[in-house]
Amino acid sequence: MPLSTIHEQLRRIAGSDAVLDRPEDLMLYEYDAGVRKRTPVAVVFPLNTEHVAQIMKLASFAGFPIVARGAGTGLSGGAIAPEGGVVVAFARMTRILEVDAENMRAVVQPGVVNQQLSDNVAHLGLYFAPDPSSQKACTIGGNVAENSGGPHTLAYGVTVNHVTGLTVVMPSGEVVHFGGKSIESNGYDLTGFLVGSEGTIGIVTEITVRLLRRPERVATLLGIFETVDDGAKTVSAITAAGITPAALEMLDGWTLRAVEAACHAGYPLDAGAVLLIELEGLAEQVEEQAEAVREVCFQQHAREVRRAKNENERMLLWKGRKNAFAALGRLAPSYYSQDGVVPRTKIPAVLQFIESVAEKHGLRIGNIFHAGDGNLHPLILFDPRDPHQLELVQAAGAEILERCVAMGGSITGEHGVGLEKRDLMPLLFTDDDLDVMLSLHTVFNPNNLLNPGKLFPTTRMCRETLGRSIHPVLQAEGM
Amino acid sequence: MTTTGISLDLAQELRAICGDNRVRERPTGGMYVSPSSAGEVAAVLALANRHGLSLSPAGGSTERNAAEVHVDILLHTNRLANIEHYDHGDLTVGVGSGMTISELSAMLAPDRLMFAGDPPCPERCTIGGLLATASHGPLRHGYGSVRDYCIGIRFVTGDGRRAKGGGRVVKNVAGYDLMKLLIGSYGTLAVITSASFKLFPAPRQTRTFLAEFSTANEAMRFRDRVMHSPLSPMCMELVSPAARKLLRPETNNDAWLICVRASGSDAVLNRYRKELGSAATREIEGDSERRIWTAIENFGYTDPDDSSSLIYLSAWPREVNDVIDTLLATSALAGVDTSLIGRVGVGLLLARVTDRKRTASEGTCALVHALRGKYAERLAVKVRGATNPWPLTPANIASMKAVKHALDPNNVLRGRQIA
Repeated sequence: MPLSTIHEQLRRIAGSDAVLDRPEDLMLYEYDAGVRKRTPVAVVFPLNTEHVAQIMKLASFAGFPIVARGAGTGLSGGAIAPEGGVVVAFARMTRILEVDAENMRAVVQPGVVNQQLSDNVAHLGLYFAPDPSSQKACTIGGNVAENSGGPHTLAYGVTVNHVTGLTVVMPSGEVVHFGGKSIESNGYDLTGFLVGSEGTIGIVTEITVRLLRRPERVATLLGIFETVDDGAKTVSAITAAGITPAALEMLDGWTLRAVEAACHAGYPLDAGAVLLIELEGLAEQVEEQAEAVREVCFQQHAREVRRAKNENERMLLWKGRKNAFAALGRLAPSYYSQDGVVPRTKIPAVLQFIESVAEKHGLRIGNIFHAGDGNLHPLILFDPRDPHQLELVQAAGAEILERCVAMGGSITGEHGVGLEKRDLMPLLFTDDDLDVMLSLHTVFNPNNLLNPGKLFPTTRMCRETLGRSIHPVLQAEGM
Repeated sequence: MTTTGISLDLAQELRAICGDNRVRERPTGGMYVSPSSAGEVAAVLALANRHGLSLSPAGGSTERNAAEVHVDILLHTNRLANIEHYDHGDLTVGVGSGMTISELSAMLAPDRLMFAGDPPCPERCTIGGLLATASHGPLRHGYGSVRDYCIGIRFVTGDGRRAKGGGRVVKNVAGYDLMKLLIGSYGTLAVITSASFKLFPAPRQTRTFLAEFSTANEAMRFRDRVMHSPLSPMCMELVSPAARKLLRPETNNDAWLICVRASGSDAVLNRYRKELGSAATREIEGDSERRIWTAIENFGYTDPDDSSSLIYLSAWPREVNDVIDTLLATSALAGVDTSLIGRVGVGLLLARVTDRKRTASEGTCALVHALRGKYAERLAVKVRGATNPWPLTPANIASMKAVKHALDPNNVLRGRQIA
């Protein structure tokens, strides 16, 4: 089907003002928050599930690949268009369809911004727990696709722990419903399977999420350490003391100085590292835990432990953490963020390794991460205009992830595999592991039209699935 | 395709894989094997695929009576009970699927750690069985389901592929979430060989507060009060008057009971006393506390010679009271005795149905029928031990069949039916 016909058909489905096809408009959709780029052939903005189903049927008929896109804040290239691909953007599906406070659920369209949902239910004393740093912009649809996390996933779990039902448009164009408002569903847990499948199984058009009740008390502590090592050891010491904070974040000295210059969060400029520790729950329990955490910090040679005196101070400490990635933009034209995970007792060792990688390659690597669950975010600064630098940075990133896996960890804790880490999947998974995942991919997405080129290593996809990626009509006719 | 007589050659092939004394004939027909590694499990499944045989995994047989499972090969997981990793500093553990819940708990106790799965009959229930049936106990209220704390899984698919999902770390989104797919799939997709879990610090002290009500409706109002309070108890369980008599036959009390279990310091427990107020008429600790929770945990188990049947329900929290009314009214009409307990804070109920005149399954059918008519897709229902565990046809049955086809294309794993 000629491109102009595809554009015309998309307009027929979603409306004449709901399709972008001019190069200057498409350029805005060629990237996400990662480092890869590709220009889509069109961007379409559906208004409802029916539109998405029709777009899917058109894609299937005409044989063009599609990728769903929320706010484009993803860090693994998950929303980058495949070759000749159409972006299905959810900027018009932004309604909160239902807030059911009695059952502590909300039903939302995928384009609802994460923070907006929490803001919307705040008057009921409720909130949506997953809190990626991009929560002011990222969408719940994107959170579902990538199974996003955030600082508070330490206590409350990632997105999958907060989704009980989905409406999904399958690659055939069929609309299916998985789960619902009840905590368990009849049959296999396909809701859980869909979350985090990175848009390769179906396109989610409605999401039923759990809402949590706001805690009575929140204590936010800032543990200040002379060395990164002392801070890192404190993380396991807090766990060993039987305390699970709601969030436990670490910033190394170099990063916190960069962040402080940009955000004025009140971080000490001469520290080796800080831990941002949040405790939530019953007032009595939070006060006891705050005292216990303070003691643990001092046992691990903390120089000082501060506590936010009020909500303003608390917000300021979090502002520094949540805007850290952006703050580093002041120091270099771009950065490459990694998302490896190690068992939390291995944090001191992996931080030393990251330092050695930085030295070896002459790179600047900052560390700001979810220490409580061992989810690292080494930020490697570079200039994307220099192709050699990008190569170097990606090689350093891969080296760090290899070490994470060797320590018993993973290549991604919350950003997803996407384009960026697909070729690192064999570090974690055997041929048989990938083969099983691929067979599930194939039964749902047989023509590989949904977000092709993501999640699976390129070699496998070329061999096993891309070969089948021919026009479905031709395939049906045995050609 | 199904089985009848197993040839001598086949028994020999199984012995060649698992060892001479690990294979025997079952009195009810077919063979029994107990492999000791994932490799042996894969070889047994490959054999079943080659010969078109049916196979079903079995753990402690606490959810169904294995003797009644009619398959060519019953694969017992008891020898898959190894420890793959135990990182107490990281609060993670990985064990073979044949390990029992009690064995795992005993291993963790010296380090003051806790596994949050508390299914019925923990001394026999295995890790694999817990995962396959997604069963739960009272800790489900405060610690979530096994879906929430299982961080990795190893298995052999129906077509004999050894594979895994997840890993050993508490946060990991690499690849498809195969844990979710296998948890609660009743052994119809794969044989689970081992799994890794997040652990929790064991509480240092606990108390249980008991509150009594003359109706279920009043009990639910108390539940709502607790849910709206700042309290976050470990467990909150409803016990119907009939269930109380089952748990403690000597009791002669017609009240509905809510048991709230709390952990924490003296100050925290004092706060519970204050918030629960005069509604909580008794407070128990020590042995009597342990006894009541063990009894509640084991409510979901019935002896093979017990004619009762058990229904697990997952309702919308605000509809729990209505579901209870429907269950009790239908039970009265159908002439069956139904006793109920439930993790009512999250909408989970267990109904034990006893029919003195007919078989319990007829009573169960009447209840399921009434529930289907009234709640349709708002309710999830599982019948313990049934060949088809989901009597309400899942809305996503076509997708389930696609998944089944991807992992078990020859339908070897047919100890249960999915529709």
